[in-house]
Amino acid sequence: MSSGFSLRRQIVSVGALTMAAARDAGGIAVLAFDVARSLLPPTLDGRELVRNLYKMGYRSVPIVVMTALFVGALMVIQFAAFVKQYGATGMIGWGTGYAVLREVGPLLIGLMFSGRVGANNAAELGTMTVTDQIDGLLALAIDPVRYLIVPRVLAMMITLVVMTMIGDAVAILGVMLASSAILDVHPLTVWYGFVDNLGVGDFLHGLAKALTFGAAIALSSCYYGLTVRGGAVGVGRAVNSAVVSAAVSICFLDFLMTYLTA
Amino acid sequence: MTAIMTATASAAAIAPSTFAIELAGVAKRFGPRSVLADVTLRVARGARLGVIGPAAGGKTVLLKLIAGLIRPDAGEIRVAGRIGMLFQNCALFDFLSVADNVAFPLVQEGDVPAAEIAGRVAARLRAVGLAGSERKVPSELSGGMKKRVGLARATVARPDVVLYDEPTAGLDPVTTSKVYQLLRDDHDATGGTAVVVSSDVEAVATFADTIAYVDRGAVRWVGPAASLLDADDPVVRGFARGTA
Repeated sequence: MSSGFSLRRQIVSVGALTMAAARDAGGIAVLAFDVARSLLPPTLDGRELVRNLYKMGYRSVPIVVMTALFVGALMVIQFAAFVKQYGATGMIGWGTGYAVLREVGPLLIGLMFSGRVGANNAAELGTMTVTDQIDGLLALAIDPVRYLIVPRVLAMMITLVVMTMIGDAVAILGVMLASSAILDVHPLTVWYGFVDNLGVGDFLHGLAKALTFGAAIALSSCYYGLTVRGGAVGVGRAVNSAVVSAAVSICFLDFLMTYLTA
Repeated sequence: MTAIMTATASAAAIAPSTFAIELAGVAKRFGPRSVLADVTLRVARGARLGVIGPAAGGKTVLLKLIAGLIRPDAGEIRVAGRIGMLFQNCALFDFLSVADNVAFPLVQEGDVPAAEIAGRVAARLRAVGLAGSERKVPSELSGGMKKRVGLARATVARPDVVLYDEPTAGLDPVTTSKVYQLLRDDHDATGGTAVVVSSDVEAVATFADTIAYVDRGAVRWVGPAASLLDADDPVVRGFARGTA
């Protein structure tokens, strides 16, 4: 009987999780629709957009640079055995560049962005919710989606694309420096391998992913921030949910976009 | 309970068009719990209504329904004119300075000249005793200062109806007295309609001309503030005297 009870409890638990996931997915979809509707016509609080661009973009540059530099270096380390075995020094630029531009760059920068900017955004909106600031906007007949959410969504999409561009450039620099230091390959050899074999399409492929990831991170963090219940504990839960949801979304979208463009 | 309860500034007969706030058959549930049931209430223009009652009786829900922050499950609510609201937590925007918080309603209107905004913000901050605090942010303010900034923001756009949710919660008696004096001065200057939800019966009775007692989702008693302590309802009388 006890094993039956435990099985029943597990089934109920799975059911509850499924319902919660479906509710959240639906809520995020509704928020996405509200954001899209608020852009027609595009009346935007410019000051709020600029404030978010600065907070999300400018302040993220140092950590993006650090992340990208190490990403580039570790790509070289991973390629080192292959390069040494086959003497394929000319392939370093192509191989690492392909991975960085199309996959590793947008993915890792997106995940880092989610952990930093997405978490901060969920915490900020969650705190605003539990301290009645969202109600304060509603009492002033101001649509919180138009005033707060749309600038944040746009800011995150724009900044993640820009951060990815910066990250791609720094990662390639990291590849060139690491190749020189670890494999004794001249940086120009790496550079020519990169420019001779990769094109604008590879670069834009990564940026398209970054734009999509930015939207996923923004919608996820905004949704969980706005639906906080339960004070400080609720804000903590919302931040956790936002980061996990964004990470899952990024991986799924990455798979989908890669599969569809393969 | 269906009864038309009217909060008026005077005992004279009031024509329906002079009501600033009208609730008819309003009900609200949260899940299985009924918070308000069949509330009908009219507040005349220029009246000062105090809403008192025990905790979890439905006072704040009533105020949020009037403000339009939540929708009723049944009934109708009409409010004539614009609404300003002072929240219990003040609801100041953390990312704006004191001056920007107060200016916010005017900025959002979109058609108020910048010079006029600056002038009205300065006047409001002077009126609440916070001239010189324009550049501070909410995290640098005391509880009483936050209330005063919230009051300035709630009234800067000259709303027709101002709603106050526990305006003196957490404040010491001296600051409480000052806040209610500010509310009186404001109301006397603008002549708008005010609704105050408060657990501080003594303080709210000094401001309001009419009191509504809300308990278990119903407006149980409405009458002049002067007669609260001698209310014919023993529950209301006991609550007001602190002997319930």
